[in-house]
Amino acid sequence: MTSKTTVRGPGSEFRSQNRGITHGRPRTPDLGLRTILLTVTLLAASVARADTARQPTVESLGNQVQCVCGCVAPLNQCPHIDCATRTEMQAFMKKEIADGKNETAILQDLSLRYGVQVLAAPPARGFNLAVWILPGAGLLAGLGIVLVIVRRWRGKPAPLSPAAASLPSDPKMLRAVEEEMKSTRLG
Amino acid sequence: MNQVGSVGLIAALAFAAFAVVAGAVGGILRSARATRSAERATLAFFAMITLAIVALEYMILTDDFHNAYVAEHSNRDLLTYYKVAALWAGQEGSLLFWTWLLSIYSALVVWQNRKKNRQLMPYVVAVLMGTGTFFSLLVFFVANPFQELSLVTSAGTQAFSAPDGNGLNPLLQYHAMVIHPPMLYLGYVGMVVPFAFAMAALITRQLGDNWIRTTRRWTMVPWMLLGCGILLGGNWAYAVLGWGGYWGWDPVENASLLPWLSGTAFLHSVMIQEKRGMLKVWNVVLVILTFFLSIFGTFLTRSGIVSSVHAFAQSNIGPFFAVFLSIILFFSVTLLFLRLDHLKSENKLDSMVSRESGFLFNNWILLALVFAVLWGTLFPVISKAVQNVTVTVGAPFFNKVAIPMGLLLLLLTGAGPLLAWRKTSFQSLKRNFTLPLILALIAGIALAVAGVRDFYAWMTFFLAIFVTICILGEFGKGALTRMRTTRENFALALYNLTMRNTRRYGGYVVHLGIVLLFIGFAGQAFKTDTKGLMQEGDLLRVKNYLLRCDGLTTGDTPNYEYTRALITVTKDGQAFASMHPEKRFYKASQQPTSYVAIHPTLSEDLYVVLAGVDSDTGKAIVQVFVNPLVMWVWIGGVVVLLGTLLALVPSRVEREMAELRQTQELAVQAGDGF
Repeated sequence: MTSKTTVRGPGSEFRSQNRGITHGRPRTPDLGLRTILLTVTLLAASVARADTARQPTVESLGNQVQCVCGCVAPLNQCPHIDCATRTEMQAFMKKEIADGKNETAILQDLSLRYGVQVLAAPPARGFNLAVWILPGAGLLAGLGIVLVIVRRWRGKPAPLSPAAASLPSDPKMLRAVEEEMKSTRLG
Repeated sequence: MNQVGSVGLIAALAFAAFAVVAGAVGGILRSARATRSAERATLAFFAMITLAIVALEYMILTDDFHNAYVAEHSNRDLLTYYKVAALWAGQEGSLLFWTWLLSIYSALVVWQNRKKNRQLMPYVVAVLMGTGTFFSLLVFFVANPFQELSLVTSAGTQAFSAPDGNGLNPLLQYHAMVIHPPMLYLGYVGMVVPFAFAMAALITRQLGDNWIRTTRRWTMVPWMLLGCGILLGGNWAYAVLGWGGYWGWDPVENASLLPWLSGTAFLHSVMIQEKRGMLKVWNVVLVILTFFLSIFGTFLTRSGIVSSVHAFAQSNIGPFFAVFLSIILFFSVTLLFLRLDHLKSENKLDSMVSRESGFLFNNWILLALVFAVLWGTLFPVISKAVQNVTVTVGAPFFNKVAIPMGLLLLLLTGAGPLLAWRKTSFQSLKRNFTLPLILALIAGIALAVAGVRDFYAWMTFFLAIFVTICILGEFGKGALTRMRTTRENFALALYNLTMRNTRRYGGYVVHLGIVLLFIGFAGQAFKTDTKGLMQEGDLLRVKNYLLRCDGLTTGDTPNYEYTRALITVTKDGQAFASMHPEKRFYKASQQPTSYVAIHPTLSEDLYVVLAGVDSDTGKAIVQVFVNPLVMWVWIGGVVVLLGTLLALVPSRVEREMAELRQTQELAVQAGDGF
């Protein structure tokens, strides 16, 4: 399967028109590219594993909870820098870390002590589950829509509307004009 | 001056309303006279709003405290450039400023299209001035900045002039704050122009490429300005709020990000319509969405429906915006449904692996991100309404949701432009991606060995290297090809290649800027901070920096009193910097604020905050942050700006095509003449 494409001059922008067209029988990915992709995946997985194994710190926890002094800001961003509430919350976190608790347990203890509003993101249960689920659902729904659009696009092309038919945006016409420009040294 | 301003406002309202009617009549009856009247009324609207702006600014600059707005937001000792900025420091002034920017855009559209797009223009003017009418109504009747200051006594209400004003909010007294709101507003307001053209195209059924070509630059400019505004806001937060960061996923920050994201989606998908005649409905939807989100952002900032640090602009104007948003949505969606038959795709998709599908996936992620950010921003309101519980949806939620999507976008930033239109073969994929993947993999291994254990940061660096090599490869290959065929040297070939297709290569520069932004974002994973009490001679260590306090000084300016810490910093034992963070107390507003001392370098910023003086010990409370790679956020922003400006320059091919079109039109006209 070939496709004629006009090469209008130097530069990769012109070559990009025809560089992707397949010639001959379809090929399968070769071992080199597969190996690279596999190595990237394994490396990423090992970094991700090392990341999840890290211990919580007062700094990392301070981004996950709100200061309850009334400032409406995350603990690390409380504008009252000499804030007694913040100091007390940080001391509580230090003690929990020293007790060897993990991040989830510390956040649970914080919400028991200060109320659920202390969490900078709501826990994933009850109605609050919706805040966590819907973005992912939206992403999947969007993917579904994209795939439906692609499937429809790959079917028969729709007939041109009268308005569209009269437009000078026909790619063939544009190519012809560009050929003309090239031949007259305008291109 | 209050009367002058009010006259300007009421006249502007009258002209805007007239322009809507005249525009509609001009369009329906195809009356050139009515259309010209509408256009002249638009110019008069601009003149009248300018009069109101001049009146208010005059009162601010001359300390006319008869005016309630001036007394509320300025004071005698405020620096002149902050006095200029007081125009948009409060609700009334900022809405007037919004209206003025709208009038400027409208006047420019009228002037630019005085000889073209004549069928579209009556409706374009009607939509622009419909928006102008709404804002004029709001400014005149609900948030009028030309109110006299009055004193209520037992004898009744009487006019009053305050001896001095309350002053500008101290948090706004920062240089970036002088240009951050105008940039943001220029971005928000500018989105009305593509919306107006889209609506006009729908009404007149002129749904070909013309409205898209006309509005491409009208979308890029506000998109660029909105981006600048967002970054300047980040810079302000970083330098003024004193918590060591530049983005906190505050609802008002999110509100500015939403139209920028949907505008980004439009700027990409519009290319599919131009090249292949596809995605016509989608492009109209994106234009509507972007304008809707721009107004929604303004609504969110001012209505007070969500808790935000930007509380200074809240009031009761929310319901008016809600009505306006409903009108926009009803009008535009109805029109879209009525014209679906005229928005059919002209081509089909040849392959799943193609530039078209790359754009589709880019749009998918961008819109999913818009949805996620919008949902997270509004969820506290929804939770309160549904379960009567106030919850916080902050950075942990947005980071968990947005970072993976952002990384997917980063991948597409490099991979998308290398996909060919229509179809990309495996050989092509292999040729284009093998080298960038290998080099990124080597760098990824090096980073892992060097101890980078934050997954998202590692992935960001890996993708940043991959994308950078992909993009630089495009420049390099293009220039080398040109060198072979034209015998130009590399620099000249690169220049000519870029200028020949500024849109494409400008886009690549924007993508490079995005890469730099992501590198800066990733630096946040390695932030360090410490806090301590210091007096003369005390030392404080953070990472490899050693801070020595050389004392505290106090001072007084007409506008504020200050306490300043004198801190000398050494790095690895070598002299590094002298830093002077301040704690200020503004006299007029009686509010304290911090003036952060920042020593920026390409690798990391040393960020020192003087939080105050400990009342028990008399020592300075000093907080120190080491923020890696922050400089790359600002550099990335500048590169995005430059890339957008480059893409706005008409390319040689574009100019040649325009000349050819003009020649053909002249030839046709000459033929008609005979």
